[in-house]
Amino acid sequence: MSESPQTLIDYLERITGRPDAGLRFLDRGEKAHQVGWAEVRDRARAVCGGLQELGVQPGDRVALVFPTGLDFFAAFFGTLLAGAVPAPLYPPVRLGRLDEYLRRTARMLEVTKAALVLADARVKRILGESVALARPRLGCRTLDELPRVEGRPVTVAPSDLALIQFSSGTTVDPKPVALSHRAIVAQTEILNGFWQDTDALRHSCVSWLPLYHDMGLIGCVFPALSREAELTLIGPELFVARPALWLRAISRYRATISPAPNFAYGLCVHRIADAEMEGVDLSCWQTALNGAEPVAPSVLRAFVDRFAVWGFRPEALTPVYGLSEAALAVTFSSIHERFRCLRFDRDALSRGVAAREVADGREIVSVGRPVPGFRVSLRDEAGRVQPAGRIGRVWIQGPSLMDGYLDDPATTARALCDGWLDTGDLGFFHPPDPTGELFLTGRAKDVVILRGRNHAPDEIERAVDGLPGFRTGCAIAASWLPEGAEGELLVLFVEVSRTAPQSELAALPERCREAVLTATGLAVDRVEALAPGTLPRTSSGKLRRQEALRLYLAGALTPPQPVTPLRMAKAMARSGIAYARFRWSRPVDTPHE
Amino acid sequence: MSDDAILSGIAEVAHRHLDWQGPFTPEMRLVEDLRLDSVRMMTLAIEVENRFRVLLDEADEGRIETVGDLVAIVRRKLGV
Repeated sequence: MSESPQTLIDYLERITGRPDAGLRFLDRGEKAHQVGWAEVRDRARAVCGGLQELGVQPGDRVALVFPTGLDFFAAFFGTLLAGAVPAPLYPPVRLGRLDEYLRRTARMLEVTKAALVLADARVKRILGESVALARPRLGCRTLDELPRVEGRPVTVAPSDLALIQFSSGTTVDPKPVALSHRAIVAQTEILNGFWQDTDALRHSCVSWLPLYHDMGLIGCVFPALSREAELTLIGPELFVARPALWLRAISRYRATISPAPNFAYGLCVHRIADAEMEGVDLSCWQTALNGAEPVAPSVLRAFVDRFAVWGFRPEALTPVYGLSEAALAVTFSSIHERFRCLRFDRDALSRGVAAREVADGREIVSVGRPVPGFRVSLRDEAGRVQPAGRIGRVWIQGPSLMDGYLDDPATTARALCDGWLDTGDLGFFHPPDPTGELFLTGRAKDVVILRGRNHAPDEIERAVDGLPGFRTGCAIAASWLPEGAEGELLVLFVEVSRTAPQSELAALPERCREAVLTATGLAVDRVEALAPGTLPRTSSGKLRRQEALRLYLAGALTPPQPVTPLRMAKAMARSGIAYARFRWSRPVDTPHE
Repeated sequence: MSDDAILSGIAEVAHRHLDWQGPFTPEMRLVEDLRLDSVRMMTLAIEVENRFRVLLDEADEGRIETVGDLVAIVRRKLGV
């Protein structure tokens, strides 16, 4: 095909069947199972025929629940060939509580309005309850259960949806991102621009990232497919149990590219023994992308220190910034130079001013500059462009932005404005103009980011409802990257009941930890029990999570006191008008009890 | 293989791969007592499979709440 591709199907159709490229699946014994891209295409065509015979129409949504393996690819591309829209969902977490998983999956199926669920045979056996709750029109099938019929080609337009990607929130506030073929092809071409194949070098990638995760699917699979290149895949659970498998695979298959979130680099530092690295040579690894969660300077340095002896090149580590709403990448730091960590004046940062570098300041990693085709603009809360040198909300514009949140025009309208997307992240340019590098300082949006995955705070907060000694509905979950830490910490603020006996209060933090761990599988790092009325609220009584976190980090999260003119003056002097307004607007006593 | 042997095999996995230092008994609950978050649960599942050369099944796994439940499943998978 000579024209440039417009859809993911164009990529599939132009596969030539190179014998030296394709997918390689590694099992726990590091044995490889290889599949050429032409076989992926043929398997997808077979699935397409089955789906059409079953009654799947163009535009139907099809939920996919598969572990990492060839079936995922057949189901994903088969769905696309039938003109339908795949929505990859995560398979059950190993040893996790099933009831919780089934409830979440049912919710995701409902929100997706899935016509059909395609699942792995093992997963299908346990999905019955979710399917019964969500009642997809065509039920749940394994690939083997599809009719065997030749598929009919369907015309797909670049503006048609190609992927439903869940970013965060699965039960309380699900926000599936709807991405068109055009957006995904644009993002794929942007990524390919960073690693162009030459006669001397054909890039190859190793990934353990889940295929329902944007960095795994959009970041690894589509670039490999579009270049008909080599992609080696490891199941995420195998990586988590034995992180050395990842580095050994990079070495053995001489991979040039491999991305992962910050936590994965930390896991390697702590969990890989020297003996597991015998014979490993990481000098082939040109680009070690680090994104999907805030990047910790200490982890970057620790990884370089630990693995340089096995040939790892410090300049390979490449901090990046992206999000599902942009299909993936928004900014890249230089892929040829060592990562940059600079120290900025803490006092200035707390006042929303950025640019001053000081020797003992807060260390922040540069996530670089916009990828080709993207623009970044820093805005205030009202959406006005910030003056140079101020911290602002990161607004982005580019060719791979989402169409919107699936079937949710109200939430979409809050995020997309005149072709710009308000990411809800906060940052500044250094040097302080839009040609500078982007440094991220925190978030204005309510999302908890742990191990590369986004979580809706509501789900964590709900877990503690009903605990004795706790005021139901008065909890805030938030996470942030503390200075010097290796990853984000999860803190839970809970207001205790005024009438609770001492014994209940003493047991509350432990009970909160247990409840959250049971309900969400997340370990809370800190529980802060607070007096009634301490948490900041809006005038309508809604909890303000980011404000609570800001006050906590400033050491100012204290119970409310009667407002006197003197105290007000002090408060204004200390924290500015916003803080004073918050104290005025919040009820001084505690109407929620 | 006896239940005791399976239990001590799992204890060894917990010690080696999850840095578990304390006592390890069948009554202990994986989440509440061993404090396993989802990443550590994955590690436990994979390493128990590696240790005993069995494959656990998602349908069984969802019902495992205690160390004793895990011992029983491994015993069944081993066919002893």
